[in-house]
Amino acid sequence: MKKTVVILLVLFTVFSGFAGGAAEKGGKATLGGPIKIGSIQDLSGGASTAGQPNAWGAEYAVKILNEKGGIQGRMVEITTMDCKNDAAEGVTSYRKLVDEIGVVAIIGPPLSNPAAAWVEMSEEDQIPIVGHFMDEVCTTDPETGKPYPYMFLAEPSSAIQSYCMAEFALKKLGAKSAATLYNPGNAFAKSQAAPFVDYMQKNGGRIVTEQTFSWADKDYSAQAIRIVAANPDVVFLCDYLPQNVTSYDALRDAGFKGPIIGANTLSLPFANMVKNPVKEVYFLQNYDMLNPNVGNFYELVSLHMKETNTASPAANVGFGWDAVQVLAAAMEKASDPTDGKEVAALLSKTSGVMLSSGSTITIDAATHRPNNMGMYIADYDANKNLRIVDYIEVN
Amino acid sequence: MIFQLLINGISLGAVYALIAVGFAVVFSVLKFSNFAHGGMISACAYMGFFFQRAYVPAPPIFVTILVTGVFGMFLALFLDLVAYRNIRKHKSPGIYYFLSSLTISIIIEQVLNIRFSKNPYAYPNIFESTFFMVGDLRVSTMDTMIMAVSLLILVALVLLIHKTKMGLAIRAVAINADTSRLMGINSGVVVVMIFLIAGFLAGVSGVMLGAKYSVYPDLGQTMMVKGFIASVIGGLGSLGGAIVAAIMLGVLEMFWTYFFGAFSAPVMLFVIMLLFLIIRPQGISGKFAKEKV
Repeated sequence: MKKTVVILLVLFTVFSGFAGGAAEKGGKATLGGPIKIGSIQDLSGGASTAGQPNAWGAEYAVKILNEKGGIQGRMVEITTMDCKNDAAEGVTSYRKLVDEIGVVAIIGPPLSNPAAAWVEMSEEDQIPIVGHFMDEVCTTDPETGKPYPYMFLAEPSSAIQSYCMAEFALKKLGAKSAATLYNPGNAFAKSQAAPFVDYMQKNGGRIVTEQTFSWADKDYSAQAIRIVAANPDVVFLCDYLPQNVTSYDALRDAGFKGPIIGANTLSLPFANMVKNPVKEVYFLQNYDMLNPNVGNFYELVSLHMKETNTASPAANVGFGWDAVQVLAAAMEKASDPTDGKEVAALLSKTSGVMLSSGSTITIDAATHRPNNMGMYIADYDANKNLRIVDYIEVN
Repeated sequence: MIFQLLINGISLGAVYALIAVGFAVVFSVLKFSNFAHGGMISACAYMGFFFQRAYVPAPPIFVTILVTGVFGMFLALFLDLVAYRNIRKHKSPGIYYFLSSLTISIIIEQVLNIRFSKNPYAYPNIFESTFFMVGDLRVSTMDTMIMAVSLLILVALVLLIHKTKMGLAIRAVAINADTSRLMGINSGVVVVMIFLIAGFLAGVSGVMLGAKYSVYPDLGQTMMVKGFIASVIGGLGSLGGAIVAAIMLGVLEMFWTYFFGAFSAPVMLFVIMLLFLIIRPQGISGKFAKEKV
């Protein structure tokens, strides 16, 4: 009897030791258990039209990844949190994911305000973050030009996108002058407007007026009248959807008849929301949106619209999907996919990862942003259907 | 250019007037600024949008305005029941009304956020063209309609207040509720009537603003600030004063934004409000209200 008790005690002690050893600090994934990743998106804030499909795309990508056997045979668990397009909420979400849930990497939002706040924390916690925060200050230190070690962008930066649009305006539309109308309080808009102005001016174009509005403004007709008086060839818009709708109607109501060009936020459902006829609207697109013959983007968008009962296709579905592909590719190569330091080092060497667009992504180790990725230019036909009209690549 | 700015300013003022009148109606009797009005406008904007979308083809806008107005009346009655009736019953200080209205406003906005998120919704186009020409001036069709509706509402309210028995009762309760009660006026019914009017106005404003801009949870809240400033400058509780002040604000804002930019415009508006409170607290109308919450 004594012998049995002693054997049981020994076994208990041994197994307790194993159990203690397996549990890591901060609730991180146990060896061989699921790999926990986080997704921080704007689910209820001012950019939720982008954040919700982004979250869906990331979650769907994880689902498909798991169906194909996960990463190194381990399932992936994704936890999505709402940053409400707010830097402080973004920090809270980050801390919950890292400290309480124990994620080892994060899929970031298509927002620069929250992402910029994670730069130091991600370095301290060694948490790689892959996202679509296009402002270059999220990936490289503006003072030193060096990349932040744990921040990675999975699409062309704001500057590159704006250069593409400016190039299109100059070369394809033959514009000699332009005006801008945007909210400088919106980091997304600001990060697009400045490079657009810069590129136009450096390449022979002229900026005749830069008009602005604030979050509190609901009527932009004074700015629109001023733009019409300045008589630009094109007007550049780069805010979120509701502001773009108001800007467009204000410009057309004021009598501006020229092309209105801008960010990918002029994409659907923009055409269905404006009161004026949709004419000569050109905007950036990351994907050849409704082409079923390239990549799996069309399939993703169709499924998203069906599952969420959404009326318009959303490019952000592809953003969420793509960010997971980039992260998963690095984790797959790592000797320990939960080692943030190793995964981050591999992310900086990302090359040839297939995206939903059907093209591949290569990340520049010097900037942590993609190399040689261009942008599509789209417009609307007479029935308000989106169509791709050009592809521009600018470095 | 100057005339175009003037036309656009008057149009913008008409939008502010619609909101300011809703404020003024409640303040004239209950002597508090009903900040829940912004939340009610947002809720009504959604109601109008879904009513329009429920039928193919969409019903005429005036039917939508009427239906949403009635919805606004029921919403106002419900809010009175849950938020204000007890305060009235216990004769609590005015600050309780203010806090209650602010709370209700936040609750409505959050409920709309949860139910519909921040995704904007757009009313179908009401007019074939968004503007018409008067000489060289471009006049917005929607703004003209808002202006016409604001004036129509003002005339209807003036007639109601000055030509009907209910109006007489409203005026009596506005001057002194206790004395009115002693003279046989059922002040409870008058207060309910005021909330019904405010609810109807919120319904009309919701549809108008939703159709002009787009529908989102804080639509009413963001517009309400300007409406509130207009009602203070106009003389809290004065319908005519609120409309005059709203038009004045719209014109001022338009010119200021054109010449000095949009960012300093709110500062200018608040400075004007402050100046009025210091120099002429009774506002443009000259009626003095003690409680300017």
